[in-house]
Amino acid sequence: MQTDLHSAAYPPRRRQRGPGQILLLLLALAMAAFSLAPVLAMLTAAFTDDNWILDHGFSIFPSGHWSLNGVRALIRYSPQLWTSLAVSLGVTAAAVCLGLLIMSMYAYASARRGFRLAGFLGVFALLPLVLSGGQLSEYLVFTRWYGLGDSPLLLILLASVSAANVLVLRTWILRFVPAELTDAAEMDGAGESRTFFRVVLPLMKPALAAVGFLLAAACWNDWQTPMLYITSPSRMPLTAVLVRIQSSIDFLLNSGSVPPADLEGIGGFIPPFSTTMFAALISAAPVLILYPFFHRSLVRAVPFGALK
Amino acid sequence: MRKGFWKDFRKHRTLLIMALPAFLVMLFISYVPLAGLALAFKRVEPGAGLFSGAWAGLDNFRFLTSGRGEFGVMARNTVFYATVFTALGTCLNVLAAVVFDRLAFRRAARVLQTAAVLPAFLSWAVVQFLVFAFLDRSSGIINTAFATRFRFYTESGLRYWPAILTVVWVWKTLGLGALIYTAALSQVDPALYEAAQLDGAGALRQVRHIALPALRPLVILTLLLAAGRFLRSDTGLHYLVTHNIGKLYPRTEVIDSYVLDALMKNSYSGYTAAAALFQSAVGLVLLLPGIAAARRLSPESALL
Repeated sequence: MQTDLHSAAYPPRRRQRGPGQILLLLLALAMAAFSLAPVLAMLTAAFTDDNWILDHGFSIFPSGHWSLNGVRALIRYSPQLWTSLAVSLGVTAAAVCLGLLIMSMYAYASARRGFRLAGFLGVFALLPLVLSGGQLSEYLVFTRWYGLGDSPLLLILLASVSAANVLVLRTWILRFVPAELTDAAEMDGAGESRTFFRVVLPLMKPALAAVGFLLAAACWNDWQTPMLYITSPSRMPLTAVLVRIQSSIDFLLNSGSVPPADLEGIGGFIPPFSTTMFAALISAAPVLILYPFFHRSLVRAVPFGALK
Repeated sequence: MRKGFWKDFRKHRTLLIMALPAFLVMLFISYVPLAGLALAFKRVEPGAGLFSGAWAGLDNFRFLTSGRGEFGVMARNTVFYATVFTALGTCLNVLAAVVFDRLAFRRAARVLQTAAVLPAFLSWAVVQFLVFAFLDRSSGIINTAFATRFRFYTESGLRYWPAILTVVWVWKTLGLGALIYTAALSQVDPALYEAAQLDGAGALRQVRHIALPALRPLVILTLLLAAGRFLRSDTGLHYLVTHNIGKLYPRTEVIDSYVLDALMKNSYSGYTAAAALFQSAVGLVLLLPGIAAARRLSPESALL
């Protein structure tokens, strides 16, 4: 029994256009504007002449003083940008593929009726939400015991499995994959894996899309793990570069002399503002562009992780 | 019982194999580091391993009894922000959800809500620059718009930071938080609203008696989760957005940002581990009565 939750979230209503509705509309507009304003400012700054920014400051709307200098500086003189872009893409793609596969299998096992360990698996996945070793302990374990310091593999592993996502997948299976289907498959002689791959997985598409997107976004946007663990520039994802540009820019604005290593990374210190904003834009753009396509799946699948 | 268990085992061998990869990942990523909590009771030197070092008993926990001092400030900030964010965040999420749910212009509601969710999908690494664009002394939007010269990133700007962090946090979380509540509201049978309208209930009344009760289980769940994570904070907010400026610590430093800073500077100690253990302990302590209370308040929730 599949409800199209997306349309259900926005069901057709009789139009009652009273003054209250105008107020609601204004509030909604205000929220959207509030959310978008900083993004617009970034978009504007990336393509604005830095001298203009220095004289007149940042602005939300374009001032007409366009310049591609920041864009050019970053694209032409920053090999680090391309390296990091590749790392981000690789790590994210790997995390999504791995994560979706192993999490959905796990969720299936933990939702399987008649399986004694299903309950245990469920609790096992949820416990880390409340019990954590803490950042220090994780750092020591990951670097000392596993030797995964400066390793993209660590980024992939950390991103691939999360309790919340397992919960969403599991709840989806419980709700939308009727036991009759899996039982019927079992009676037809299909093994568990065949049942899973042929019957269950196709039914999980919206949940997989939603979880896949969330996973990709979380991995792409993660800044703390790369900052803590990745030390070789050739292995730094985009966010790690963004975090390091920050200290460079501060340094730039204060003293005007730049350490050679940082200079290479941002490809020349003029122009600092548009360059930084363009780098930020590159990081933000993929997720922002893709999100509207996944909004529908998210509305359908995610609330079920929280509701019952 | 044992015989049945092993028969089950072989029958469901495939299921176990299917669950194994994710199980192992979780085991190594989330459960093994729990052993590191023992560090809280050892004398830790930066550069030392997990098993080396002498036991220090409860020495590392002195900060709890020493009254004020650095931990006092950190803890105060952590509790302050946790309380404000949870209370304000939940209220605003509910309000925003009601707005989007009750809006009659459905296409506008969908578009505007999609726009409102976007900040949730920006990295803090990006957000720190966005905040900078607003707060910078010479080029920031705030200073140019009001022709002022606030030096937010220095000591003189200290008192604004609770407000700044709150605004930024709301900006980042409101959209997605409201979306979850909106989805819950959409589950409500429209007939309820129609019936209420026929009975003469105005829009506000309808909201109070239909929409809000519908959100009750979800709000309780949210508060419960917040309790379990009470002393934890988002380092993106407290470390990155503040550029980890030491002068701002009195208003911005929380336990998590302190630990991150100690790790980055390789200056961690047993005190760091003890602080981390303290976080988990408080979370658990708040969670257990929290679950009991939630069970009583929301008996229909199958999750509890």
